[in-house]
Amino acid sequence: MSLALPATRRGRGPAGAALAAALALSVAACSGGATASPVGNPIDPIPSASASAAPSGAGATGTITLYTSVTQNTVDAVVGGFKAAHPGTDVSVFRAPTAEVAARIATDLASGGLRADVFWLTDPLSIAGYADLKLLQAWTPPSAGAIAAAYKTDTSFGTRLLNMVLVKGASVTPGPADWKDLLSSDVKGAIGLPDPGFAGSAFAALGYFSQTDGYGTAFYRALKDNGATQVKAPDDVTTGVAEGRFKVGMTLDNSARTAIRKGSPIAMVWPTSGAIAIYSPIAAVAASGNLTTADAFVDYSLSLEGQGLIAGTGWQPVVGSGGPKADGSQVSPDWAAASGKQKDLLASYRAIFGG
Amino acid sequence: MLRTIAGTGDGRLRLLAAGLLVGLIGIPLARLVGVAVGGGVASVESTLTDPAIVGAIWNTAWTAAVVAVLAVAAGTAAAVATERAGLPARGWLRAGILLPLLCPPFVTAFGWTRAYGPRGLSDRLLGIEIPGLFGPGGIVLVLTASAVPLVWLIVGSALASRVEPDAERAARAAGAGPWTALRTVTLPLLRPAILSALVVSFVFAVNAFGVPAILGTPVGFATITTRLYQDLARSADPAAFAEAGVLAATLVVLAIAVIGPADAWLTGRPAARTGETAGAPRAFSADRPDAGGRRVVAMALGAVIALVTIIPLGAVVLTALTRAVGLAPVPANWTLANFGEAINDRFLDGLAHSVELAVAAATIVLILGATLAALGRNGRGGGAIRTAATLGFALPGSALAIAVLLAYGGFLRDTLAIILVAYVAKFWALGQRQVAGSLDRLPDDAVRAARASGAGPWTAIQTVVAPLLRPTLAAAWLVVFLFAFHELTMSSLLYGPGSRTLSVVVLNAQQLGDPTVSAALAVLLVGMIGAVAVPLALLGRRRT
Repeated sequence: MSLALPATRRGRGPAGAALAAALALSVAACSGGATASPVGNPIDPIPSASASAAPSGAGATGTITLYTSVTQNTVDAVVGGFKAAHPGTDVSVFRAPTAEVAARIATDLASGGLRADVFWLTDPLSIAGYADLKLLQAWTPPSAGAIAAAYKTDTSFGTRLLNMVLVKGASVTPGPADWKDLLSSDVKGAIGLPDPGFAGSAFAALGYFSQTDGYGTAFYRALKDNGATQVKAPDDVTTGVAEGRFKVGMTLDNSARTAIRKGSPIAMVWPTSGAIAIYSPIAAVAASGNLTTADAFVDYSLSLEGQGLIAGTGWQPVVGSGGPKADGSQVSPDWAAASGKQKDLLASYRAIFGG
Repeated sequence: MLRTIAGTGDGRLRLLAAGLLVGLIGIPLARLVGVAVGGGVASVESTLTDPAIVGAIWNTAWTAAVVAVLAVAAGTAAAVATERAGLPARGWLRAGILLPLLCPPFVTAFGWTRAYGPRGLSDRLLGIEIPGLFGPGGIVLVLTASAVPLVWLIVGSALASRVEPDAERAARAAGAGPWTALRTVTLPLLRPAILSALVVSFVFAVNAFGVPAILGTPVGFATITTRLYQDLARSADPAAFAEAGVLAATLVVLAIAVIGPADAWLTGRPAARTGETAGAPRAFSADRPDAGGRRVVAMALGAVIALVTIIPLGAVVLTALTRAVGLAPVPANWTLANFGEAINDRFLDGLAHSVELAVAAATIVLILGATLAALGRNGRGGGAIRTAATLGFALPGSALAIAVLLAYGGFLRDTLAIILVAYVAKFWALGQRQVAGSLDRLPDDAVRAARASGAGPWTAIQTVVAPLLRPTLAAAWLVVFLFAFHELTMSSLLYGPGSRTLSVVVLNAQQLGDPTVSAALAVLLVGMIGAVAVPLALLGRRRT
C-alpha cells in the first residue's frame, strides 16, 4: 500500500491572491524545477489577433495538477498532446463530476490552500465563483485572441461549446421549432427537463430564460402547468424521449447526437431563437507553484492543435473547424449576472418544481 | 465477558478503541462542524429555518424510519425462514437474498426504473408499471429492498450463533406450537440483533443518495443528501459550502437521536440467558412446517427475490446489451460495443487497488468491530462508543470524504491510506453492529475455563471465541468487503493519480450522453464484484 507523499506543492488561500504573481515566482524558485514565468503579470502583451498554430509555452517543465470535470477521453487527448509538445512536463489529473471537483476545491481552500495548478470545468458558472474569490490568474493566453468575447473572461477561456437544444421523439410531428413550443397542448404532460440543481447546463438555461424578455421564470411556471417533468440530467431527458416517456425535452446537443448516432429513435431540433451555448472554461490557478507550465497547458488547450484534439473527441471547439457544427444560431446568458444570482434563481425554480 | 477475556487489559482496550474513534470519526467530524459554523451562527440558523431545508430533513427522517421498520420485518422473516424452517433450496435462497449487496446503490435505482418505470421492461411487456416509483413510495421500496440483506445477515448470524435450539426444543416439548415458540423464545433472544438491524437499516437509508436522487427528482422530493450534493455543486460560493456542512451535521444529529437511545437500551439491559449451548446446529425438525408448506414458503421467497433483485438486474443487463436507448431490447438490437469503452489500461490498476483497499478495510473493521462490541457489553461508556462508531456510517459519502480530507488531506492526500481511513470510518458500524448482534451470547464459563487453565486473552479469543463466532465474523467481513469494493462517492473525491479505485475508473470511463454505456459499466462493476466476492464467500463457507 503506497503511503508516499504526492508531488504537489502547498497553495495559497484567497487572502494571498493579491500577491499571487510575486508569490508564484518565489515559490517556483523554491520548488527548484520551474523557471519564473513572466506570463503571471496581469499587464500582459496585447493578444495576437489569431490563435497560434504552434502553441507557446517555452520553459514549461515539471509536473502540474489539473482539476477537471471534462470527459476523460477529452482530457486524455489534450494531456497527451501537451506532453508530446512539451517534453519534460507531466500532468497529474484529478477528474470527477462537477460537484465532486467543487467539493475538492472547497476542501483544499479550507485546509491549507489549493493543490491544483489548472481548473478545467464544464460550464462558466462553475468557475465564476473562483474568479470572484480571486483564485484565478488574470492574463491573456496568446491563443485566446481568436476566441469570441462571449466565451471568455479575463481569467477563464472557453475550450469547447455545449449547446442546450430541443429533442423530440422521431414519430412526433411536427414537433417543436422553438422553446415556446414546449408550451403547446400537443406535448402536454410529455415534456422532460434537466434539473438546474444537479446539472450546470440546466442552470445555464435557467439563467438564460430568466434574463430574456418573453420568458423569465414565468416560463418555468408555464412549463410546469403544461405537465413538464424534471429529471436529473440532460442524458435522462434524452433517454426519456428515446423511450417514449416524453415527446419532447431540453437536452445537450452532444447527448442527442450520441443517441442518434447509435440509432435511438429521436431527432435533435436546433431552436430557431438559438441554442443556449455553454462554454467549458479553463483557467490557471493564480497561486500555482509552476505557473509557467500551467499557463503553457491553458494556452495549449486553446491553440489550434489543442482545439483539434478536443474536436476529435466529439465536441464543438471554440476555435477552428472540426467536431460537430452548430445547426443554427447560438445565444448565451449574461454569465456574470447569472452567477451572482445562483441561490435566488434556484430558490425560485424550486418553488415551482420542488427538489 | 470482556473482563473475563482481557482481565486488566480492559481499560487499555477501551482507551485504544476510544482513541481510534477520535482519530477516525471525532477529528473529521469536528472539522466538518467547523465548516458548518464557518459561515456564522446566523447563517446556520437561516439554513435550518428555510422551509425547503426543513422539508428535506423531514423527508429524510420519515422515509428512513419506514425503511428501517419494513426492512427489519422482511429481513427477520426471511432469516427465520431460511435458517429455521428447513426450506428446500436454502443455498439458492440465501444467495438470492444477498445478491443486492453486490450492486452499488446507483445501479439498484437505475435497475428499478428500467424494470418497473414508465417504458421499462414490465411496461413494455405487460403494460404494467409500479405507480409512484418516482416519489417517496419508490424511494422507500427500493431502499427497503437494498437494506433487507443487511438485516438478514445480522439476524441470521444471531440465529446461528446465539439462539439456543435447546430452549426452542424445550418450548416445543412443553406443548408450544411453532409460532408460540418463535414468539416467546426465539424473537426475545433475537432482540439485540433486531435492534442492531433497525439501527443499521435506518442509518443506511438516512445517508442514501443515489436512490433519492434518481427517484425523488421527478416529483421534486428532496432529502438532506440530495440538497447537500446540490450545495456541493455550488460550493465555489463559500455560503453553499457552509450550508453543506450544516446539512451534514444535521444528519449526524438525526443519527444520534435514533441510535443513542437504542444503544443505551442495549447496554443497560443484559440479554436474557437461557443456556450455554451457543453455536448449535441451525435447524431442528420440531420447528419445521410440513413439506408442502415449506415448498410454498420457498417458492414465495424465490418469487420475491426474482421481483426485487433479479428482474431489475436483468433490466440493467438488457440495457447494456442494447445498441441505443429507445430501441426494443431484442436480439436484433444487441451489441457488445457498450462494454468496449470501459476496458482500458487503468482498469486492472483500479481493480488491484479496490481489492487491496476492500481486504484491508474489512479486516480492520472486523477487529475493531469485535473489540467495540465486546466493550459495549460491559457498560460504562460502551453504549456511547458504539453510537459514536455509527456516526461515520450515518454521513453520506461526500460529507465524510470532505471531513477526512479536511482532517488528513494535509499529509495523506492522494494516497490509498486516506481512502482506507474513509472506508474504515464509514463501514466500522457495519462490522460492529453485525458482531454485536451475536457476541453477547458467548459462554462466559468456557472463556473462564480457558483463562483459568492458563490461556492468555488472545489465546482465549482464538480458541474459544473465534470458533463460536466464525459465521458472524465471516459475514461481517464479507459485507464490509463488498461495500468497500463498490464504494464510489468517497473514492471519487479522495483518489489521486496513483490511487484510482475500480469504481472511479468505471465512473471516469463513462461518456456524456449514453445510458447504454453507463449500464454496461454497471454490469461490468457488478460482475467484477461478483467474481471476487462469490469465491470468497464459498471459501469462507468451507472453512466454517
